Amino acid sequence: MNRSSGFRNKLIYLMVMIAMLIPLYLLGQPAGGSSGDGGGQLTQMRTKYNIAESELGDINPASETMKLASLGLRGVAATLLWSKANEYKVNHEWDRLKATLNNIALLQPHYEKVWEFQAHNLSYNVSAEFDDYRQRYSMVREGIEYLTRGVEQNRKASRLVWYTGWFYGQKIGMSDEKRQFRKLFSDDKPQHEELRESNIAVDSPDARGPDGKPDNWLVGRQWLLYGYNLVDSGVKIRNQTPINYYQTGPKWRIKHAEAIESEGVLDDRAKSAWQQAADDWQSFGQRSVPTTSPFTIKLGSILELDQQRQALTKQLMDLAGETYRAEEKLLRDGLNDQEREALAIPPEERTQEQGMLAMQLEVRLKPMWSRVARKAPEKVRLRAIQLAGELADVEARYQKTDSYRGQVNYEYWQTLCTAEQEDRTVEARRLLFDAEKANADADIDQAIQKYEQAFAMWAEIIDDFPVLLQDELSDDLMRSINRYKVAIDREDFDDDFPLHPFIEVMLSEKKTSEEYRRLRQLQKEGKLERRVTPTENPVDPTSSEPGDKPDGQEKAADDPRPTDGTGGEPSAGDKPAPEGDVEATTSERTPTLPQG
Amino acid sequence: MTLQPDDFWSFSEWLLRPESFLESALLQGVVLLAFATLVGLLVAYLVSAVRYGPSEGFYAVARGVRDLFRDDLPGTSPRRIFALARLAYKEAIRRKVLVVVALFLVGLLFAGWYLDPRSSDPARLYISFVLTSTNYLILLLALFISAFSLPADIKNRTIYTIVTKPVRATEIVLGRMLGFVGVGTLMLVPMGLASYFFVVRGLRHTHEVVDIKDLGDGRFSGKLSYDQFHEHTFTLEATGDTDGSVLEGVTDYVRGHRHIVRKVGDRYVIGEPTGALRARVPSYGELSFTDRSGNLDVKGIDIGAEKGRGDYGSAGIARLVGVSREARRMEFGYVEGGTLGSAIYAFKDVTPQRYPDADGIPMEMALRAFRTIKGDIVSGLSGSITMRNPDNPKIESTPINFVVQEYDVSEERLPRQIEGTDGDQIRTLDLFQDLVTPDGRLDVILRCIDRQQYLGATSSSVYLRPAESSFAWNLFKSYFSIWLQMVMVIAFGVMFSTFLSGPVAMVATFVCVLLGFTAERIYDIRYYLDKGEAMGGGPIESLVRLVRQDSMTTDLDVDAIAAKLIKGVDSVLVYTLDVIATSLPNLPKMLSTAEYAASGFDIFGSLLARHAVATAGYVFAAFLIGYFFLKTREIAA
Repeated sequence: MNRSSGFRNKLIYLMVMIAMLIPLYLLGQPAGGSSGDGGGQLTQMRTKYNIAESELGDINPASETMKLASLGLRGVAATLLWSKANEYKVNHEWDRLKATLNNIALLQPHYEKVWEFQAHNLSYNVSAEFDDYRQRYSMVREGIEYLTRGVEQNRKASRLVWYTGWFYGQKIGMSDEKRQFRKLFSDDKPQHEELRESNIAVDSPDARGPDGKPDNWLVGRQWLLYGYNLVDSGVKIRNQTPINYYQTGPKWRIKHAEAIESEGVLDDRAKSAWQQAADDWQSFGQRSVPTTSPFTIKLGSILELDQQRQALTKQLMDLAGETYRAEEKLLRDGLNDQEREALAIPPEERTQEQGMLAMQLEVRLKPMWSRVARKAPEKVRLRAIQLAGELADVEARYQKTDSYRGQVNYEYWQTLCTAEQEDRTVEARRLLFDAEKANADADIDQAIQKYEQAFAMWAEIIDDFPVLLQDELSDDLMRSINRYKVAIDREDFDDDFPLHPFIEVMLSEKKTSEEYRRLRQLQKEGKLERRVTPTENPVDPTSSEPGDKPDGQEKAADDPRPTDGTGGEPSAGDKPAPEGDVEATTSERTPTLPQG
Repeated sequence: MTLQPDDFWSFSEWLLRPESFLESALLQGVVLLAFATLVGLLVAYLVSAVRYGPSEGFYAVARGVRDLFRDDLPGTSPRRIFALARLAYKEAIRRKVLVVVALFLVGLLFAGWYLDPRSSDPARLYISFVLTSTNYLILLLALFISAFSLPADIKNRTIYTIVTKPVRATEIVLGRMLGFVGVGTLMLVPMGLASYFFVVRGLRHTHEVVDIKDLGDGRFSGKLSYDQFHEHTFTLEATGDTDGSVLEGVTDYVRGHRHIVRKVGDRYVIGEPTGALRARVPSYGELSFTDRSGNLDVKGIDIGAEKGRGDYGSAGIARLVGVSREARRMEFGYVEGGTLGSAIYAFKDVTPQRYPDADGIPMEMALRAFRTIKGDIVSGLSGSITMRNPDNPKIESTPINFVVQEYDVSEERLPRQIEGTDGDQIRTLDLFQDLVTPDGRLDVILRCIDRQQYLGATSSSVYLRPAESSFAWNLFKSYFSIWLQMVMVIAFGVMFSTFLSGPVAMVATFVCVLLGFTAERIYDIRYYLDKGEAMGGGPIESLVRLVRQDSMTTDLDVDAIAAKLIKGVDSVLVYTLDVIATSLPNLPKMLSTAEYAASGFDIFGSLLARHAVATAGYVFAAFLIGYFFLKTREIAA
């Protein structure tokens, strides 16, 4: 190689380097700041998917340094820290656990699951390890703060926002020590200050309880509202069903009302809390909720859908009633002997098999409107096909709405809100509360009198809202009745005891509104048989603290799953909770045992 | 801080283990030395045999050994060692190693970013941070300076300027070690001072009085402002020696400290935080339990909490040869409430001279609580302390009740005079005359009062506190422990550098340190291998599982022959690693002295003595090996 060829090579290398730099420049060029200059391909993609650091959340210099210091081995470092954190947890070194979690978060600030998992770990698992409820509360708070930091670092993580709202409500408001937690929270000024910093309106009347201090349920609701605004502004709901996402906020208002009543606020403030809860639930019914189908639904519009459905059916009947009946006859003619027999027998005499068959046949024997429309007279056929299409669409929406309503138990909550905001319900609750208090104070005569007044009132309320049989209230009532029995020292009741049908329903298998109405009717006719009911859990009248909820309610309320079958979001089951924590996550460390 | 059984050993117990000599450190040292000598001689002979032939090789080795004992060891002169050490020292300083101190200071500057300001025990966090960061930095530095120096000299042939002078190989090796130790020490001093000021300053803060209430009886109660993520409450009382214009009181303990509050006229003076930086000198007792019927029990009730693993290492050679296989980690044992179950601490040396305080003997407790029912949420679990005469169990004090404060050290006092029973008689008992035996023994019995609830205790949970040492002195002791580790690493580095090139020597030393740090993990793996329990297996099996994303506890899902092969190779690897790890210094144990300082406990003298002796042993071994290798090189040169 001579000198000139060496020089030539160098030139070629230089050219190649420049050539390679051009695509790099085009790819990586930062945005110019002026409109139309979105920067290079990478910058544009970053903007498009909102994954630029500044888009995701606050830029934390500590986090950036830590990422740099790990020399690209961020994942490895985080994994090591994770296992270290677990070790600290096993060895109960909470301070170091927190420090390690802090470092993990610095390394992987945009890994949403980390925030979620470890916040849960602190608030639910670690907190349960402490014996002093104040220490437990501070650990719950640590978890919540951790989650809040996660929200700051991930501004568009709708799920994290929702989860924060969930923690404020569920963890503080439904634990065994909810009474103490709620009190600690309402007095926790530093925490309120931090909430203010996170732009949560703790000072607004909407976030304050009857004592004028921030209420955990309402603050949780504020977080959820923040999440709803976020979603309304175009952020997607991820890893969660929209219906569940949206129901929690209104539900927290209901829980708030329940909580203050159980704490003895039984006056206009409770009524107003229920009214607001009803309003919230109403607005929830008016919200467009995306579904698994391509359309959205509104839970509150089921009546309209039903009317539309009927109107369309009527129009179709008018257009092609003949064809419909002909089709029906055709289907009926196609039945075999066995099927005919099943239909001919009156429903109550059918065997189980026949009953099943009859049910299937009822569906089968209904002609499909799409089919009928195609067979309709030519004059009306086009119109009929069009109407049948519309009907099918309305039907699908109706079915979806109905099924979603079932998922969140929409009607139950609606009725509950209506029933609870009545004066007499608040009064009935107050009477029951006073009765329990008198009973606990061993003022038996007063207790009996209040019990009897309360029971009469409750009977009326249940007459009007038998759906309340599903409520925690019914367990409460049963317990009160048992205490009452101890107080009057009797095993049975008079025929006209107002809650007699209620007791019968509660002791039977069929806890339905229909059954209740039937028994109530029988009682009015004097036909309801008296049954001597065993006194369940005879309760020592002195065991209940004044103002304390009867034991069973505590237990029922402690179940972290909503009672409406929404899948118990988020249950411990959906967390890969570390070994040995399962128990601590699903219930508290000190499981409630039925006492008495 | 939960101590493990071997933390309680005195120096002689550690050295000799009177009950089970197989576990003794002395035996481990002797075996190690014998093994090293044997391997050394064998290797030396093989090398010489290749070089000079079988018989001449033997003589060469024998000459080497003879030289050591006849000439080099007796002829070693401290003056020449010192001169060589100065050389090494100067050389290291010229290589600008002091930059490490600057690095440390920069680290301290930014430490606040990574230290959780909301920690419930900031002192602990700060102290462990400064100690561990110093430790790692110094070990890293020791690694670099020690491994590169000799090979560079040999490569540049500057070594000839030394070896041509009348110096011995012993002096070269020792000189290097000493010189580098000097450099390290020079750096540890400013780092130690900086650490001390960092911790003290970092914890210093003050509050303002935000709320004050007149209690009517001349006392005031109040609240301090929310600063540094916490607040305090306090009560003020008139001090006896003034006319009532000066009130004084202390705040409650929050985050491990409290303040003294004084009211002079209308002005409030809030003192520095106290109690955060401590060095308690504990006196531990022997723990035993009784079960619910009052029968003696060794471990107490296991409540089924997830257990940590480890502490196999304390069994020494006994573990290596398979005589002792179990993990020796001490776990909390629990006492059932409302039964005859109890935890009994048998204390020794309880004398009025050790505990002169007229208020009684200070006793501290770090207990745990476990509930099986929700019970009374508002009140903590309650327990009781009873003192009993070990020789005459009929003399017993009335119980002193307490409420468990979990994850916190609560202070109690065992009063000098207390009501109690003496047989059938109830009378006032004197602690030292009635309850303590003449030879200074006292039983303290803990019970849980609440039925169906449990109280947890371990040997280190309850202790008497005869004295308090100073934090600065304790920090110094931690630094001494770091210094010992540094000496050890330097010795290894110099040893390797006598026969390996710089980078290789560094890697070899690094591997030794790493193996020392991961020793417990290796023991763990061997434990499961011995037990035949699937827990991830050895290195190759783990790799297979990682790639296949298999769980640790399933059967290895490969065909039988492959599995056999993998497991076979793995056991060879694990057993070899185990031998190496057992022969290396147990660095985590030495690092754990930081834990004492951080938790506010005086570092036991016996612990430091153990570390010092172990260090001396390893340095001696490294020196011998280094000497022989250098000698061979000299001969070669």
